[in-house]
Amino acid sequence: MKHGFYTRLAVTNIRKNRRTYIPYILTCILTVMIYYMVKSLSVNPGLGEMYGGGSAAVTLNLGTYVIALFAFIFLFYTNSFLMKRRKKEFGVFNILGMEKRHLARVILTETILVTILSIGLGLGLGILFDKAMFLLMCKVVGAEISLGFFVSDRVILSTVRLFCMIFLVIYLKSIYTVQISKPIELLRGGSEGEREPKTKGFLALLGAAFLGTGYGLAVTIKNPIASMGIFFVAVILVVIGTYLLFTTGSIVILKLLRKNRNFYYQPGHFISVSGMLYRMKQNAVGLANICILSTMVLVMLSSTTSLMFGMEDMLKVRYSRDFEVYSKEPDATGQNDKIFRKIEEFCETESIPVENKIRYASLLLVAEEKGDWFETDGKKIDVTGSASEFRSLVFVPLSDYNTESGERRTLAGNEALLFSNYEAYEKPKLGVFDREYQITGYLKEFFGEGVSNTNIVTSYYLIVTDEEFEKLKEISERELGEAGMVQTYYAFDTSASGEEQEMLEERILDIIVEVGAEYEGNFNGYMESRAGNRREFMGIYGGLFFLGLFLGTLFIMATVLIIYYKQISEGYEDRERFEIMQKVGMTQDEVKGTIRSQVLTVFFLPIAVAGMHIMAAFPLIRLLLAIIGMVNVKLYLLCTLGAFLMFAVLYVIIYSLTARTYYKIVRR
Amino acid sequence: MAFLEVSCLKKIYTTRFGGSQVQALSNVSFSAEEGEYVAIMGESGSGKTTLLNILAALDRPTGGRVILDGMDLGQIKDKEITMFRREHLGFVFQDFNLLDTFNLRDNIFLPLVLGRKSVQEMTDSLLPIAQKLGIRDILDKYPYEVSGGQKQRAAVARALITNPKLILADEPTGALDSKAANDLLTLLGEINRDGQTILMVTHSARAASRAGRVLFIKDGEVYHQIYRGNSTNEQMYQKISDTLTLLATGGDVR
Repeated sequence: MKHGFYTRLAVTNIRKNRRTYIPYILTCILTVMIYYMVKSLSVNPGLGEMYGGGSAAVTLNLGTYVIALFAFIFLFYTNSFLMKRRKKEFGVFNILGMEKRHLARVILTETILVTILSIGLGLGLGILFDKAMFLLMCKVVGAEISLGFFVSDRVILSTVRLFCMIFLVIYLKSIYTVQISKPIELLRGGSEGEREPKTKGFLALLGAAFLGTGYGLAVTIKNPIASMGIFFVAVILVVIGTYLLFTTGSIVILKLLRKNRNFYYQPGHFISVSGMLYRMKQNAVGLANICILSTMVLVMLSSTTSLMFGMEDMLKVRYSRDFEVYSKEPDATGQNDKIFRKIEEFCETESIPVENKIRYASLLLVAEEKGDWFETDGKKIDVTGSASEFRSLVFVPLSDYNTESGERRTLAGNEALLFSNYEAYEKPKLGVFDREYQITGYLKEFFGEGVSNTNIVTSYYLIVTDEEFEKLKEISERELGEAGMVQTYYAFDTSASGEEQEMLEERILDIIVEVGAEYEGNFNGYMESRAGNRREFMGIYGGLFFLGLFLGTLFIMATVLIIYYKQISEGYEDRERFEIMQKVGMTQDEVKGTIRSQVLTVFFLPIAVAGMHIMAAFPLIRLLLAIIGMVNVKLYLLCTLGAFLMFAVLYVIIYSLTARTYYKIVRR
Repeated sequence: MAFLEVSCLKKIYTTRFGGSQVQALSNVSFSAEEGEYVAIMGESGSGKTTLLNILAALDRPTGGRVILDGMDLGQIKDKEITMFRREHLGFVFQDFNLLDTFNLRDNIFLPLVLGRKSVQEMTDSLLPIAQKLGIRDILDKYPYEVSGGQKQRAAVARALITNPKLILADEPTGALDSKAANDLLTLLGEINRDGQTILMVTHSARAASRAGRVLFIKDGEVYHQIYRGNSTNEQMYQKISDTLTLLATGGDVR
């Protein structure tokens, strides 16, 4: 046979089977695209410059392996479906006198064509889309993002290598299928009966238990420190639970429905339940994938957007004033006063308006709660043990508290007032070192500075008399050295312009250095400003926002594709079934109705479960966000709802497109 | 008036892009009484399938009328036609047309479920039929688990369960081996003796020889018919073979 023959035959074959081949090739192209884009992002040099970029790069790199595996499974699956439908065609070729090696050659040519097409177009579109995304994102986030557009030949090479390998495996599988079948089997191949799925009640229960435990953990957690660890445990439990429930739970439920004869033998339920049973057998894993993917997308989108839009709030929480000075003077020789006076003088001469001035002393001790006594010796604190016993104790003298809060509290002897940022302290007494305090009252709020505001450890703020404060100071300096020193917090807001603020910032830094030099470095102070950190925050959260949007978009595309492909491929299988039903006496409307209910279920089950996951995860993620200072629950709620709504709208659009195509296929 | 009255049936197909017309049925008239077992034979392209489709209300004739038990099929509205088919007609197909997502029981129940019958009613009507067709023990099996003959018997049960006025069978033995085909024909004969009207389209002289009457269609017209009278199956078979030979050689039997 002439050489060109195979190419021509392969092209004709692909054209003839375009209804299944086009979605397949599109899938291949998109998979290549997604892999390329994530891989290229993971080695993007800008990522290293970004705050947290290092761990993002590691995660993304791990992600590329997951995507590679995912691509392999998905393409393998879609191709095997394609081959099943084409068996008959090969059977005819075989009977018409083409030997199996000729068939293998036809398939090889086809595979090569598909490979070239998908890798070429996938890479091309990937690079284009990459560029477009970066342009768009820079517009959205502002130009401060260090992530830039770039093309790496290393990434292109790795993409080509991976997909050539995948297609090679797919090719080998295809010729193996053809090789082992007899012509008559090939002829019949398209219409093999599927077996009914087995009931696995135990696994279903296990899935429910996993999911329940995961949810329980997420909902009941109160301690932010523990929440990190719990988060991963909960995620793993929920993921396993989701897979188990989709694969076995769905079947158990459907079979129970089928057992209820009065329910089952109704026109709508009859066909849907039995249809779903088979559909779930083939699709459970796919649906679970979609569910988890959508949950990921939603969590990613909602948290990164809320971080982005909550940045001002976070700045306000982390930096409770525009300018904040923290200083520790070891010898009580008046360095603090000197610094603060100099700053005030400077503001006056430059006529910089100063508002909301605050100044108070505090003693911060890291401790482990042991009954109503607190261990402060670093060596004796059990770091490996349960983190939930860790506490911060912050002592503030009564006079400072009264001045700054405007209240007129009085305390006697060893009495103390208490405020807790997370877990309540309910014991009547609190002991530290050799001192013991009676808790005589609880405060509703405390005007704390930014650093302890964002402390994720449960912190007890204790207001004690000035005399007690002095005693504590003495003991703690003796016992703990520098770590046990009293710190003075001095902060204020200003309505000055950006330039003036920059100038002030520089001056304050100078003052700290000057005064520090005067005391031969025996002084410890630093400054934080909101304006100066706004840029840094923008870099961090803008970058995260970008990553969230980028990956979110990619995953949404992947999700959409899986669903679309699944529905279309099922349409061909269902066509025969619906033809029979119509012959036996089902009206067009009934057919439409059952199709709608089945497609709706397959479509909206994953997103409904994803919604459930998000709801359960809400308290936990709220805590995690609180750790990085994002405490605006309302904003996070809005972002979550917004992300979910956007996702749902997109989903509905895809659904209606898919349902239309599906119906067209089935009705013909 | 006869139970089934087919008069001057005409069907002309127009190809999709206008132009040429194909006459599938030119003028078919015949009638059948209640309880009759009629076989329709003819070569490929003779118009058998078109006739069956019109009788099944799957297709509308260009001219002529079909009246079943006093109902004019042409007068039934499009919306009601599916219901009509479900309630008054039973179908047996060459390739069974069983759904492999249902076990045999549910396959048989399908038309009843669509007709919103109660579970009790369905179970009651299934029992005697399953008994008669010898599929009682395999009702819980799935189509891919049973033999072709068993599948076709399940399909017959599905056709019978609605108590239809007329059973339309399209090459019911076409996909069966000779043993299974024989068994099925015997069953159809028994069902007919119980009073069920059957109309069967077939290629097979063996299958047609079990019927009470055989119609031969050629070029869209009823060309000839044979009554069983007192003939045995063998004699009937002989007659049919003779007619087929004549048909093939183009002779005139009339």
